[in-house]
Amino acid sequence: MPARMQISASLAALMSAAAALVPEAQAQTTESDARVSYRFNDYSEDALAPGPFFGDAERYRVLSQQFELSTPVAGDRALDVTATHEIMSGSSPWYVVRGAGNRPIQVMSGATIREHRNEVRAAFTQGAGTTSSTTWNASYSIERDYRALALGVERSMPLSEALTLGVGGSFSHDRITPVDAQLFDRIEHASKNTASLFGSLAFVLDRNSVLQTGLQLNAEHGYLSDPYKLVDVGDAIVDDTRPDRRGAAAWLVRYRRAFGADSAALHLDYRYAQDSWGVVSHTLEAAWYQALPRQWRIVPSLRYYSQQQARFYAPFFLDPGAHNTFSSDYRLGTFGALSATIDARKRLGRWEFSAGVERYHAATGYAIGGSDAPVPGVVSYTRAFIGLDYLLQ
Amino acid sequence: MTPARERLDLHLVRFNAMGCPCALQLEGEADAIARAAAAAQSEVARLDAKYSHYRDDSLVARIGAVADAGASIDVDDETADLLDFAATLHAQSDGRFDITAGALTKLWDLQSGRVPGGDAIDRARARVGWDRVGWRRPTLTPNVPGLRLDLGGVVKEYAADRAALACRKAGIAHGVVDLGGDLAAIGAHADGTPWRAGIRAPRAADGAIAQIELARGGLATSGDYERVMIVDGRRYSHIVDPRSGYPVESFASVSVAADSCLVAGAAATLGMLLGLDAGYEWLCALGLPFLCIDAQGGARGTLAR
Repeated sequence: MPARMQISASLAALMSAAAALVPEAQAQTTESDARVSYRFNDYSEDALAPGPFFGDAERYRVLSQQFELSTPVAGDRALDVTATHEIMSGSSPWYVVRGAGNRPIQVMSGATIREHRNEVRAAFTQGAGTTSSTTWNASYSIERDYRALALGVERSMPLSEALTLGVGGSFSHDRITPVDAQLFDRIEHASKNTASLFGSLAFVLDRNSVLQTGLQLNAEHGYLSDPYKLVDVGDAIVDDTRPDRRGAAAWLVRYRRAFGADSAALHLDYRYAQDSWGVVSHTLEAAWYQALPRQWRIVPSLRYYSQQQARFYAPFFLDPGAHNTFSSDYRLGTFGALSATIDARKRLGRWEFSAGVERYHAATGYAIGGSDAPVPGVVSYTRAFIGLDYLLQ
Repeated sequence: MTPARERLDLHLVRFNAMGCPCALQLEGEADAIARAAAAAQSEVARLDAKYSHYRDDSLVARIGAVADAGASIDVDDETADLLDFAATLHAQSDGRFDITAGALTKLWDLQSGRVPGGDAIDRARARVGWDRVGWRRPTLTPNVPGLRLDLGGVVKEYAADRAALACRKAGIAHGVVDLGGDLAAIGAHADGTPWRAGIRAPRAADGAIAQIELARGGLATSGDYERVMIVDGRRYSHIVDPRSGYPVESFASVSVAADSCLVAGAAATLGMLLGLDAGYEWLCALGLPFLCIDAQGGARGTLAR
C-alpha cells in the first residue's frame, strides 16, 4: 500500500528513470528557465620578463564585473541582456628600440593608465530551445577614447533529422578618439567598419555525439592601426602603420560527445584562421565536463594556440625599403601559447556558484615551426573568476 | 478558445496508429509542417512496429519466443532504457505495474464480453512477474516460458514525446501531438499562449469535464471508459492488477500532466492501479497536476474546478 512507498521520492524516481528516454523534456525545462547572473573576472598580465626594457614592467590588469538577465518573454521567445563594467590599469608595450648587437629592447608606455569601459549587450531569440531559431543581437561599448556599435543576426534551421544549418552575419562600427592626441602627435579621430558572415553544418553522428564544421569570413576597413603604438624604422620612431583593409577567413570544427547518461561530456574544438596580412593561426582546445554527486560539476580544459607573424611585423626595421606599413605590436608576431583552465560549479537549490582560474603562458618558441622574428612584448597572464546565478522560475 | 492573434497557419493532420485515432496540430511554414508531419508519423509507426504485442514480427514477439525457448536476448539502447523505466515503475508500485503481464492482458480480451475462469487466470498469473525476469542491461533473460511483454502505459506515451521531438527537429516550434488522448506539447502557440486540452467526461459522449493549459510537457489519461466490459452488472476495466489477476476497481479515469507524456502516463497508470483511496493519496503526494474521475462522474484533484 502507499504507506510503504517512498511518496516524496516517487516523482524524482520517475523523472530520473524517464531522463534516458526523453532527455529533451528535462532540457526544455531548464533551457527556458529565467536566471540572473553576476560574474567577476580578474585578468592579470605577468610583468615583463627579465631583460632589457624601458619604462614600467607592470602590465595590464583588468577587473570586470558582469550582470546578466536571461528570461523567456512569450512562448519560445527569449531575451538576454548583459551589462559589463571593466577597470583597466597598468602599462602596455609602446615600441621596441634597437639595442646593442641588434638586440630588441621593449619600451613600455610611461604612465600607468586607469580606464573604464562599459558595455551593454542584448540578444532576442525566437524558437529558443529548438533547432529552428533566430537570434538578433546588438551591443554598444564605450570608453573614454573608444566607442563600438555592433549588430548581428543568427539563424539555425534543420535540413534533416540529423543535419542542422546555421548562418549569420554581423556588422560593427568602431570610432576612436585617442587621448593626448596633440601632445603625442596622434591621429585625432578615426573609425573602422567590420562585416562578418558565417555558415555552419552540424551533423548528429549518433545519440551521443555531434560534429559541427563552419566557415567565417571577416572584412575590416578603415583605421586598423594602434594609435598608442610606435615603431622604430631606420632609427626613426614613427607611428604604427598598418594597411587600411584586412580580409580574414576561419574554418572551425567542433566535436561534442556525451558519456554515461549525460554525466560527462567531451568537447574538442579546432580553428584555423588566415588573413590578408599574412597572419595564420591554429587553435586546438579540449574540455571535459564532469558532473559529480551533490550537484557539483567541474570542467578542466586545455588550449593550444599558434600564430605566424604578419608580413609587416618586425621588432624594429633597419631600413624602410619600399614598404609603407610597419608594426612592432607583439600581437602580430610569431608566438604560441598554452592555456589550462579549471572551472567548478555547485548548484544549491535555486543558486549556482561557480569559480575558476586560467593560466595562459605564451612564448615565441611555442609556435608551430619554431620562433621567427623576436617578440619582446609577448604576454602571459592569469585569470581568476567567480560567479553567482539565481534561477527565477 | 483563445483569440487568434498573430498566429501562424494552424494545420491539423489526422492519422491512425497504435490502434487509436491520432492527430497533430502544427503551426508553422508549410514545408516545415509537411516535414514534421511525415517525421512524427514515421516515428510513431516505427515504435508501433517495434513494441506492438499484436504483431508477430515485433521485438516484443521475439522476446516472447526467447522466453519460450528459455534463452536470453541482448536488446538495443532504446529498449534497455524502456526496460529500466518499467523496472522503476514496478518498484514504485509494489509490483502492481508489471510489463510482463502480457499473458493476463491477452486473457482479459475485453472485446469477447466474457470473464475468464479462475483456472485460466491462475495459469496466466503463473506466466507473469518482472521479479522473476533476469535483467542486466543489455541482457534480458525472461526465465518463464509463456511470459509475454505488454508495454501498454509506456510505449504510446513515449511515442507521443518522440513524435513531438521529431516535429521540433523538423523545425516546428508550436504544436501538440495527440495519440489517442495522450498529449505531448511541441511548444505553445506562436503567440505564446498555451494549448487548451479538454478532459472528456466518462460515459458521456459530449463535453469536457475539465480543461487544462499545456505549453510544454505532456498530459496522459488512463481510464476505462473507452475499453470497458460490463458482466452481470460489474464493470471491468482494461487495467489488470497482475498480483490478483483481476482488473482493478478504480477510477473511471485518471489524467496527469508532467514534463513529458511518458512520466504523465506512468503516473496516471499507477494512480489507476492503486485504486480509489490509495491512488488519490498517492497522486496528491506526487505533486503533479492531476484529475481523477469516479464511476459516478465526480471529479477530484488539482485540475478539478
